[in-house]
Amino acid sequence: MGLKRNVSLAAGLGYKGEGPYLTYILHRIGGSALFIFFTIYILALMGVQSANGILANWVFQLVFLPFMLFHAINGLRITILDLSPKLIEHYRAAINIEWAAYILVVAFALFIVLRNAFGG
Amino acid sequence: MATRTLPLSKRGFNFEVFMWAFTRFTVIAMYGLMLAGILGALTLSAQTGANFGDILYWAFFPNMAENPLGQVWMVILAKLMVIAFVLAACGHGVHGVLEILDDYFTSHAVRRLSRNFIITYAVLASLIAMYVIWTR
Repeated sequence: MGLKRNVSLAAGLGYKGEGPYLTYILHRIGGSALFIFFTIYILALMGVQSANGILANWVFQLVFLPFMLFHAINGLRITILDLSPKLIEHYRAAINIEWAAYILVVAFALFIVLRNAFGG
Repeated sequence: MATRTLPLSKRGFNFEVFMWAFTRFTVIAMYGLMLAGILGALTLSAQTGANFGDILYWAFFPNMAENPLGQVWMVILAKLMVIAFVLAACGHGVHGVLEILDDYFTSHAVRRLSRNFIITYAVLASLIAMYVIWTR
């Protein structure tokens, strides 16, 4: 476990890792979103009414759902590749399949959120 | 790209390896519980006539919703599954948050502090969730 980093923020942002790096970054953002969601969920269980209000708010759902769903779908890809090392050769294809599945799922989820928000 | 496999005996078994394995196993448990939960809720919905969404909402927020399930065994099963899911999610999240924090804090002391803090947080959150889900 290295304790020193010699990479500046600018260099980090300029890193051309392409698709795999993008999934890595989005997975982290999704994990952080889930951590926030989990904290609000525990507060709601403790009876904090505003926490329940936040979870029910459509703007919150609209912002958090895409990241949380990405974390779940990307995690499934990572798990499948971890359990089947032979598939690692096709990891770029796996990422493409993941994006296709993600777009379908997130589009459906956001449609439901917006339909509920605007009383469709 | 060549595949890489390394037996556990050569990896060693320190805290990081243990947490990595724990993270993988808990996420597999979560996917299994999600699948079983959705199938279970659909089955209970068909048997009791209760709305699928109402069952899931009550299962995760028992302090804010009326119980849509009549029979005691259904209630116990649903509570056990939700508790198992929350525990798996909490266990999985601990290592994820630790990895992110380790990337931003480089001093040994701060890393140890953040590690202790997040593990304490996970234990407390799990206890609260278990208590509320089981008793309401």
